[in-house]
Amino acid sequence: MMKKILPVLALITMTLVGCKDDEPGTPRTSGSVLVDLTNVVGSVNLDETGATWYTNASGESFSVTRLKYYLSNFELIRNDEVKYKLENGYFLVDESNQASTVLELPDVPAGQYDKIRFLIGVDSARNVSGAQTGALDPANGMFWTWSTGYIFYKLEGKSPASANVDSTFNYHIAGFRESNNTNSLRWVELSFNGSTLTVDGDREAEVHIFADHLRFFDGPPNQMTITGNYNVMTPGPRAQEFADNYAQLFRFDHLHNSAH
Amino acid sequence: MSLRLVTNLSSVRCAILLLVLVVSFSACTDENQTDNQPDLSIRFEVPAGFPPPVYGFQNNPLTQEGFELGRALFYDPILSRDSTISCGSCHQQFVAFAHSEHRFSHGIDDLIGNRNSPGLFNLAWHPEFMWDGGVNHLEVQPLAPITNPIEMDETIQQVNLKLQRSATYPNRFLKAFGTDSITTQLVMRAMTQFMGAMVSADSRYDRYRSGMVSFDDSENRGLQLFRSHCENCHSEPLLSDFTYRNNGLSTQFNADPGRVSITQLPGDSGKFKVPSLRNVVLTPPYMHDGRFNDLEAVLNHYSQGILQSSTLDTTLPAGGMQLSTQEKADIIAFLSTLTDNTFIRDRRFSEAP
Repeated sequence: MMKKILPVLALITMTLVGCKDDEPGTPRTSGSVLVDLTNVVGSVNLDETGATWYTNASGESFSVTRLKYYLSNFELIRNDEVKYKLENGYFLVDESNQASTVLELPDVPAGQYDKIRFLIGVDSARNVSGAQTGALDPANGMFWTWSTGYIFYKLEGKSPASANVDSTFNYHIAGFRESNNTNSLRWVELSFNGSTLTVDGDREAEVHIFADHLRFFDGPPNQMTITGNYNVMTPGPRAQEFADNYAQLFRFDHLHNSAH
Repeated sequence: MSLRLVTNLSSVRCAILLLVLVVSFSACTDENQTDNQPDLSIRFEVPAGFPPPVYGFQNNPLTQEGFELGRALFYDPILSRDSTISCGSCHQQFVAFAHSEHRFSHGIDDLIGNRNSPGLFNLAWHPEFMWDGGVNHLEVQPLAPITNPIEMDETIQQVNLKLQRSATYPNRFLKAFGTDSITTQLVMRAMTQFMGAMVSADSRYDRYRSGMVSFDDSENRGLQLFRSHCENCHSEPLLSDFTYRNNGLSTQFNADPGRVSITQLPGDSGKFKVPSLRNVVLTPPYMHDGRFNDLEAVLNHYSQGILQSSTLDTTLPAGGMQLSTQEKADIIAFLSTLTDNTFIRDRRFSEAP
């Protein structure tokens, strides 16, 4: 008799535990947070085909043919305390691959968060660690072989303001060394504007961020022209001015945080 | 039990004795025997007196398969855009992997480079690479010549693709790394196993240091002169301190600004990496631009040709070292002891071992 009851009891217990686990409102220990990025120029979505013409604050028209950038070292913050830090998480956002514009932050502890923080670029430690793979594979075209290091932000396109024979402009902004203004790493911290992101492993948890690349030229803080600056492909003072601008590209838009 | 141990020990002794005999015999008869099977297995050992290496293979364990795959890649022109140039084209073993009789090497389409191809050995001890130190890690060093438009002019994606499509490489990667899915990281790690294992530490100078040989009078005088005039930068035992210095070749550096192009620090203008002097007799011409054809010309420069500029190395005497003819001859006698014939004949590093 007992022999027959025991497995049934075990089955019931397992089922109950299973149910409990899926029950809404019962927190799991962790879940994923998605960061959904929308690249825009001013008020319109960025068009990477080169067919759309934009105008910067200096009155220069330009089109975009390539946009790629690295984001890394994601943190989630609650009451100014870092509650989550993603080590070894490097994301290459490539406008030509829309899947790359949704970043997954794994194993976020259940809890509530009111800010997100991340680094534009690849931290200096990883820049001096030899041959990497995945998002950091040098074959992804975001790596300088002549002066080891990752390109953090690449924007290419065309403009009549460029003196290159094909009217292209080439911005490859990078540099991780502290020496002589060559550090183009920039931290970005975005508040959720009073909202709270709840992670309980059950509900969706998505942070929607807009990146306005018009600010790469217009700032603040620096109003940069394409004239005279159409190729920036070495670390240094000009790259710094653009880096100070790309630190201001990102703005929090909204959360998706409803229960399933 | 103890009897068996004694027996085992004595058989070990016999084996050692036999081995010594075999080695002695083969040493006597080795010269012209090609069917002899030498030990081609690869090991990485820190030579006596060397500091700990910068590259220790911790994340890239050295294996025979990985090393041999790296060697195949080093000598394979598949790494260049039109399959004409390999690493071995400009790094030849008989001159310690420098480029014999070339001030500048010629890359793809016979394009001429702008810096002298350096010898390759003891790379595991270098903190940075290239004359300007632009490459900060041995594992990413090969990417620089591969992608340089006047050297091999190939893209990294294309290298990976060509290797993946080849008849032999996927299987070799499988044996070396347990996967036949070829990535940049694995290509670089294989090459690093080959390059990093190229240790040169069996010159007469090394044997002198370990007490196996003695120097003659001229070599001894040369060593003393070297230690008072050159050792400051060409530190023993690696014969370089791997810093960047302006050694007074020029007064302006527009043609090649050197280290400053990497650091953007004006104080680095005209500075280049101090090369190791190991195997130096084998590797003319000299300096980053190969301007001197022989060691006499180099010593004449340090003796009387140093040019003043704002970044000139402060340890160089302003009026030059003022060396006598005899002193120069003695220094060259010492520099000649730095040639490592074992290294340049080591079949493990040869294109066809």
